[in-house]
Amino acid sequence: MQVLGYEITGYQIAFAIAAGVTLGAAAMVVLVPNVLRAALFLGLSLFATAGLYVLMNAPFLAAVQVMIYVGAITTMIILAVFLSHRVMKIGFFQAIYNPVLAAGAAGVMFLFLFITVVNSLWVKAIVAKGPANSDVGVESVANALLQPYVFPFELASVVLLAVLVGAVVIAKEDTESA
Amino acid sequence: MHSAYGIPVTWYLAVSAALFCLGLFGMMVRRSAIGMLLSIELMLNAANINLVAFGSYLKLPTIAGQVFAIFVITLAAAEAAVGLAIVINIYRLEQHIDADKITAMKG
Repeated sequence: MQVLGYEITGYQIAFAIAAGVTLGAAAMVVLVPNVLRAALFLGLSLFATAGLYVLMNAPFLAAVQVMIYVGAITTMIILAVFLSHRVMKIGFFQAIYNPVLAAGAAGVMFLFLFITVVNSLWVKAIVAKGPANSDVGVESVANALLQPYVFPFELASVVLLAVLVGAVVIAKEDTESA
Repeated sequence: MHSAYGIPVTWYLAVSAALFCLGLFGMMVRRSAIGMLLSIELMLNAANINLVAFGSYLKLPTIAGQVFAIFVITLAAAEAAVGLAIVINIYRLEQHIDADKITAMKG
């Protein structure tokens, strides 16, 4: 498809939509005063990121992203908001502290990163023109997880067990001292 | 073995940089502890995009990028669980979760 003399592929349009929703929702996450709405926008941003993963030929990771990030983590955060915020209308400057200074700092950081990314020679040297389309489905991920990365895999399960016990201990009401 | 979608890897890296800086901004401006946790999730997500982009765009593509991203997602879930448990505990103690006013540890 030709737009203003440039050749535009459908993948580029899909990328623009996914990246736009990701960044737009992320901007709402940090700017909306109401934390519950911010959590819902976080879910939208993470969901659009799954679209970026699909474009990078990582469909299994996109599914993991939707199931764990959008399904589990966002739900957990929303529940925590319900448990810890009094329902009230809160103004922008009550929720956001010193936005101009922070925007300046984050903007400088972004400019630094952007210029580095665009100008770096080593990125151009090691990357190909497009994503790999070899078999990157669930089977190769499973082989990688259970053969070369089996030790970190088992370590992750130990960490999750510790977190499960730790979260229960921390969040449990202290009945002895009360 | 590489498909040409017309999307260079620098586009993903630029999106990831912007996402990271939005998370950084949120981390600095939010007063509510849960708002800060949301910003951390944004930054972890930006790191994930970088990992998957390089894993997929390398001339010798590797699955390691996706595997690392899965570990990052796992640890993000762990971090969110413990962080929210702490937030709920602090709310029970102080009836607010304003990060500037929490003094339970004499900080």
